[in-house]
Amino acid sequence: MPRMLWFVPMLTREEEAALRATLGRLRGRARYAELRFVSERNERLRVRDGRPEQASTGGTRGVGIRVLGEKTWGFACTPDVSEAALAAAADRAARIAAASAPLARAPAAFPEAAAARGTYETRVLRDPFAIPLDEKMAALDAPVRELLRGGKPVSSASAWMEWVRLEKRLLTTEGTDTTQRFTYGGAGMEVHALGDDGVSQRRSYPTWQGSEGFQGGWEKLDALDLVGHAPEIRDEAVALLTAPACPEGTRDLILDASQVALQIHESCGHPTELDRALGSEISLAGGSFLQPRMLGKLRYGSDLVTLVADSTSEGGMGTFGWDDEAVAAGRHPLVERGTFVDYLSSRETAAALGRPSTGTMRADGWNRPPLIRMVNVSLEPKKGSLDDLLADTKDGIYMLVDKSWSIDDLRLNFQFSCEAAWEIKNGKKTRLLRDPRYTGITPEFWRSCDAICGPDEWRLFGISTCGKGDPMQIMQVGHGAAPARFRAVSVGNTGRA
Amino acid sequence: MTGAELLALCRDALARAGEAHAEVYATHRARGCARFAGGELGQHMELDEPLATVRVARGKRVAEAQTSQLEVAAIVDAIARAAAAAPLLPESEGFPGFAGAGEPTAAASRFAKDTADATPETRAELLAPVLARVRDAGLFAAGMLESARGAAAVATTEGCARSHDDTIASFKVWALETPGAGGAAGYGGHMHQSLAALAIERETERAIRMGTLGKNPIELDAGHYDVVMEPAAMAELLEWLSQIAFGAPEFEQGGSPMKLGERITGERVTIREDATLDDPAFGFGVPFDREGTARRPVTLIDHGVARAILYDRTYAARSGAASTGSAQLGEAGGAGAIGSASLHMDGGDAASVDDLLAGIDRGLYVCRLHYVNGFLETPRAVMTGLTRDGCFLVERGKIARAVGNMRFTDSLLEGLARCDAMTRDRSAIPTWWTDGGSVVAPAVRMRGFFFNGRSQRALASIV
Repeated sequence: MPRMLWFVPMLTREEEAALRATLGRLRGRARYAELRFVSERNERLRVRDGRPEQASTGGTRGVGIRVLGEKTWGFACTPDVSEAALAAAADRAARIAAASAPLARAPAAFPEAAAARGTYETRVLRDPFAIPLDEKMAALDAPVRELLRGGKPVSSASAWMEWVRLEKRLLTTEGTDTTQRFTYGGAGMEVHALGDDGVSQRRSYPTWQGSEGFQGGWEKLDALDLVGHAPEIRDEAVALLTAPACPEGTRDLILDASQVALQIHESCGHPTELDRALGSEISLAGGSFLQPRMLGKLRYGSDLVTLVADSTSEGGMGTFGWDDEAVAAGRHPLVERGTFVDYLSSRETAAALGRPSTGTMRADGWNRPPLIRMVNVSLEPKKGSLDDLLADTKDGIYMLVDKSWSIDDLRLNFQFSCEAAWEIKNGKKTRLLRDPRYTGITPEFWRSCDAICGPDEWRLFGISTCGKGDPMQIMQVGHGAAPARFRAVSVGNTGRA
Repeated sequence: MTGAELLALCRDALARAGEAHAEVYATHRARGCARFAGGELGQHMELDEPLATVRVARGKRVAEAQTSQLEVAAIVDAIARAAAAAPLLPESEGFPGFAGAGEPTAAASRFAKDTADATPETRAELLAPVLARVRDAGLFAAGMLESARGAAAVATTEGCARSHDDTIASFKVWALETPGAGGAAGYGGHMHQSLAALAIERETERAIRMGTLGKNPIELDAGHYDVVMEPAAMAELLEWLSQIAFGAPEFEQGGSPMKLGERITGERVTIREDATLDDPAFGFGVPFDREGTARRPVTLIDHGVARAILYDRTYAARSGAASTGSAQLGEAGGAGAIGSASLHMDGGDAASVDDLLAGIDRGLYVCRLHYVNGFLETPRAVMTGLTRDGCFLVERGKIARAVGNMRFTDSLLEGLARCDAMTRDRSAIPTWWTDGGSVVAPAVRMRGFFFNGRSQRALASIV
């Protein structure tokens, strides 16, 4: 048998020595430097229409080195954890910082911080990497069979799961030495039904692909009960083929928890990224309507709306011990009772506002520099059940599970479409509606929020595909949300433009 | 690493692993990215992107494994992992086995030494006049200058052995009224195999011109507008069209708007996939796919008629077709994707964008789009998105005023059915979703495109 290289969990003694020697090499040559060793093991499985469409395992391992020179930063990386390779990468990072210095107006502000030391590990009851492959494939095959049961008009069904184990070691010239071990997972399924007119409808569970993630083990997949939910989404996909289109107009809108999570992601998470607000993310993502002068003043939402960045939430995809600048995980309100009060920030960007970092710097691997990323940005629950909320709605539309998403470069004008909707009349779900969409302007929309369901309806969603940066980085982030109601929203359908 | 070195590594690993049916696809990209914002060079990085993806087949049971360690032992380990997994998987219907030697790939040059040799100092020197020029214009510069060197290789136990080397230089620049709070924005961009051939000065001037022109925008109501879309805007729409329309899986599932042999859009519209061009300005993409199949030029839409879709080997075998060389690594490096690598939309006969604008009595001139999403109603290719970095009201054939960004929601194919002119000149735009790919597009004039979102109001009026 070959030596098992798929997952070398942490550093060998020689590699450890090489990292420390490289750090020593950078002391005195840089205002600050960090070495971030990352080792990832992943598994991605997908069954479509009874066929295995993906059965892949992967691994990656290397070190990213970020150096703050006299004025600005340099970043280089290497998959080779030998002393010679690390020294060469460190020299490249220092050289890049020096080459860039003439194009920086002033030295980057980077307040000193105390060294962080310790470990963090995801709580895992049943290790997904210890589950046999055939058991995993069977766990996907069973819901697909159930979705396909009965044949046409169901045209296609698939189910997937993904597991990632990430080991991260951070060493800095400030004396930080942290070790973190994450286990991320996600699973879901979708079904397509095809009408005689050639138009198809999709339903997914638990939500749209890429947002069903968590930190934890196989026990969380068991709790999803894919097979048990298959008949419901299959029948709804079929029913959508003949359902009327969501009517155009201005209506009270109730969003299910998963759609509230996406709404938070796009219209609160991204615009509260301070690098966007300060203009560092123009080359790809854009800026932000939330400008520093609005802190403490802007009515972002109604009094009901409190949004918190919490990197300590149990099981969240945005949960950790320390960010990639060694700032400890914490809980920071971004919007408090409707007022915009803080940003997702880094040590450098927060210093520009004279504030401490809210600890959100993360990189998506050893070969990318850290950026400000969402942690778990969540809407605080209020009270009542979804049934209570529907019963309290005289004339509205209840939309569930995202289908398409789009928002402008300042995060103001958004339009989302959902997989399905229900018309609500006098507190009752009266008829299923297809192709629903809604549109709005971020602060106007959140100011119209007049009800948020309680803790029993609140769920922590995980998005594993959040893109940001240039070149693009993909990151795991979390959003806790409960169903919520928004008054007088522009709704319609995607069928006829 | 070079393509030849990668190929040697792939073959060595296959030989040592001793599997009867296996495939190794290895890529390595070294990227120098100088990302600037607020008039300063703040994120300058050199990125190393190694990846080997192996597949092992036991009959029609196929498993995949990946490693970022481009060493023989690590790839042999990945092969062993895939070999252990394959017997536990269900059969993959239609799997035809791995590629053999196959036909030769196009002899297209993709390599420019100056790009491969670029240093941090090279990039900084090229950017210094850009930052100064934008600052002198009273605007804030943002963007990125990238010099990248890439290599790819594939080898199979069935005798396929291919390698490739390329370089890509790209430049994106914004000239902004504010660093990140909105306001006027002008954009310029260019990609080429050679860093020295990048039109950095031209594109910087363009960004400044449009950024200046974009100040003091007016608001427009939603409605149908005649529109001229710049190549960068068209490229984003075409990339989405590729994602929802051209791959065999989307076609098989019934979500694609492609109805082969039928007219699905305007007569002026011809869209091809062609990664074989030997042209340093328009020729990008590896000339073979991850399975080792030589990429073939494919006319997807010919004068408005849907003609062909893109296949990998398995979907081709199931459909009785031939692979078009379109197998790609999928999401997060996984399997299963089929898509374009180098998409080309034919141009028309208009000599310039001004000529296109001259044919508009009242309409919009759109420089770029933002956050397009094409999942609204895929059989009609209904898409939504917003304008960005320049949206202008056109009156009596001339740019009249800047307009706040607007949201569109319309069917791209139905919009292109109302296309009545395109420029002869085209531009290559880097793809958004896949590194190393490109879309070549002209500027396009469409009649009656639907903008359903009123233009973005000034920040002060909202907050």
